Amino acid sequence: MTTLSTPPRQPAARPVKKTGATFRRTRPGAPDRTRKRGDTRFVLACLLPALVLFAVFMVYPTVNVFRMSLYTWSGFSPDMKFVGLDNFRHLLDDRQFVRAFQNTVALLVVVTVATMGMALFLAAIMTRQKLRGGNLLRFVLYIPNILSVVVIAAIFSAVYDQNNGLLNGSLRAVSLDTWQQVWLGDQKLVLYSVGMAMVWQSLGYYMVLYMSSMASIPEELYEASSLDGASAVRQFFSLTLPLIWQNLRTSLTFFVMSAVNLSFVLVRAMTGGGPDGSSEVLLSYMYKQAYTNSSYGYGMAIGVVIFAFSFLVSLLVSRATRREPLQF
Amino acid sequence: MRRSFAFAGTTVMALSLLVGCSSAGDSDSGSGRTTLKVAALEGGYGKDMYNKVIEAYESSHPEVDVQLQISKSIEDEITPNMKAGKYPDVVVLGQGREAGLTETLIKDKALEDLTPVLDAKVPGGKQTVGEKLTDGIVGNLNTNPYGTDKTYLMPMYYSPTGLFYNKGLFKEKGWDVPATWDEMFELGDKAKKEGIALFTYPTAGYLDSYFYALLADVGGEQFYQDVMTYKQGVWKTANAKKVLDITTKLLGYAEKSTVGYANEQDFTKNQQSILDNKALFMPNGTWITGEMADAPRSDGFEWGLTPLPSVNEGGTRYLTTSVESVWVPSAAKNKDEAQKFIAFLYSDEAAKIFATSNAIQPVKGLSDSLTGESTEFYSLYDDTSVSALVGGFASTNPVEGVDIKSTLFDTANSIISGDTTEAKWQAALDEASEKLRQAGN
Repeated sequence: MTTLSTPPRQPAARPVKKTGATFRRTRPGAPDRTRKRGDTRFVLACLLPALVLFAVFMVYPTVNVFRMSLYTWSGFSPDMKFVGLDNFRHLLDDRQFVRAFQNTVALLVVVTVATMGMALFLAAIMTRQKLRGGNLLRFVLYIPNILSVVVIAAIFSAVYDQNNGLLNGSLRAVSLDTWQQVWLGDQKLVLYSVGMAMVWQSLGYYMVLYMSSMASIPEELYEASSLDGASAVRQFFSLTLPLIWQNLRTSLTFFVMSAVNLSFVLVRAMTGGGPDGSSEVLLSYMYKQAYTNSSYGYGMAIGVVIFAFSFLVSLLVSRATRREPLQF
Repeated sequence: MRRSFAFAGTTVMALSLLVGCSSAGDSDSGSGRTTLKVAALEGGYGKDMYNKVIEAYESSHPEVDVQLQISKSIEDEITPNMKAGKYPDVVVLGQGREAGLTETLIKDKALEDLTPVLDAKVPGGKQTVGEKLTDGIVGNLNTNPYGTDKTYLMPMYYSPTGLFYNKGLFKEKGWDVPATWDEMFELGDKAKKEGIALFTYPTAGYLDSYFYALLADVGGEQFYQDVMTYKQGVWKTANAKKVLDITTKLLGYAEKSTVGYANEQDFTKNQQSILDNKALFMPNGTWITGEMADAPRSDGFEWGLTPLPSVNEGGTRYLTTSVESVWVPSAAKNKDEAQKFIAFLYSDEAAKIFATSNAIQPVKGLSDSLTGESTEFYSLYDDTSVSALVGGFASTNPVEGVDIKSTLFDTANSIISGDTTEAKWQAALDEASEKLRQAGN
């Protein structure tokens, strides 16, 4: 579903490196026509396995999702009934679907803003300020990224436990008893509890990503700007941010995509969409409809909505963040 | 030259990718033996008993080669092959699982009619399968999902579900297990003073056994059938209102941490509150003793099981009975052989093997041979004021976005947390039931 994630290259962008596939071997002397044709054939043959895989595992299933969304089908029976856009019409009156959609959007906004903001902030501090134990910190923050979702769900079950959980326990310890919450039982809170786990999971990865691009900004620029009297904050907004902008917008698109998926697995493992559907997200609702409720076609219609939604969001993100690329 | 080699090489690679995706092929060895494919859910009873039963079957039927596929997520393993047209011949899998495979095939009318099995002789005995089965275990919506007299799912194991509690605590406090709802709520007030909640549930899905029994308690079996078959306006009746009234009142007595723990990750913490004497009753099944076997417990703890209290003194109390099923997909290859195998599952030989793993089949006289905790649980059926209740919601054509079970059960979470009201609950149930009625079967 990441078809439109990379924007068209600007003319001023860095020159595209030639990949191995398009690199032509030329020898001194007259270029040989038959050899060229042979080259093309060779290149095509090299591409073939990848293309076949792409077609079988990406193009075909995707097309199939669109096709199936126009049928009612239980998933097994040989008789599929074509119903046109009926499935989509049902979606509009389905309150559970609307709620799942709202939850997905809320999660995307909150989690994206929180993760990106904190990742940038931490990356800037870690690269610009020579912190003691910076490597250790980076290591610690990165660890959640390599944990399996089931482990994360178990960890957060311990963190959020209403009686002996880490969170409520800490609040009690600092005498903030009134702030204690039933983190996974309160219908207004549960979504943000899941969101917090998502931020915790992906923060380290994006921080490391931004650290590497910040580290490649030449030191002279910072020296020059500090001679001009720029503060650290000013440096961040006027130097660091514009110079890693291209990197930022690409990762932003990827993040939005992966957040849609991550929210599904975390919701399945942590809350199962509950209590009473209050933490249901689009993908978990699609699963429930397609399998538990034996409405495969309806599930695929939800899949189409997710596809279109992700497509649209990445397009918007990509358009909204377009800037003239700066180079150093 | 070298290039054409490379070209050939990559082409072969590409093709081999495709070949790799295709099946390894069915190698039906030409030995003349029939291969019977059996798929089973590995539940709390383990897989050992299946291996032993199959061994016994193969020794008496040397012409049959039984291949067993067993897993805790059997749906995930057999579904891809089923979509490709390769069906198992016999499937041991009940309803109410999240993947909903049995329900889907019922809705599709893709199950083989097993009524002939009931008239078949049990191998090694004189009775037919139907005669051997406990009265009333077939002929309900669980076995005859379309409400006709044709049986599509054979009952495999059964176990009582109801309210589990700590007998030791009742003894210590000198409390009686309530027989009517009035006594129940009286006890709730008494327990509250001692800081013990009356009720909890692992997750809202466990309320199924509670609701089925309560519906029958309040309105009788006919009313229960009406609800299960989506009779028009059934949720607007006084009986339905009474069911929701009692439930709402009961949920008011729920242990306060119930909702926060009512998820896949934490549900055992709700179960633990019974062991810790923080709550008195929870709806559950007999597997609970095994599931919580290693959990810490209060002194003198002893599992007890009681049917739901009745509405009027001396009224019939219903014990929702969970029944696992065995069925044959219509698309199976060896349907005749499959039916013979199923008949064998009810033989004395097989029943003995199953019973050693605590898997109790609904066969007459079997519960007399039980030992340990199970004896007491199953002896509830001997009480004349207690009646077994089997079934569940009738199958309809799928209705997009409507799942009456989640409307009925999951809303309990919202009732406890105050996010919805009883009136809205009733309206939502009426709407869902009406949509399913219109979809019909």
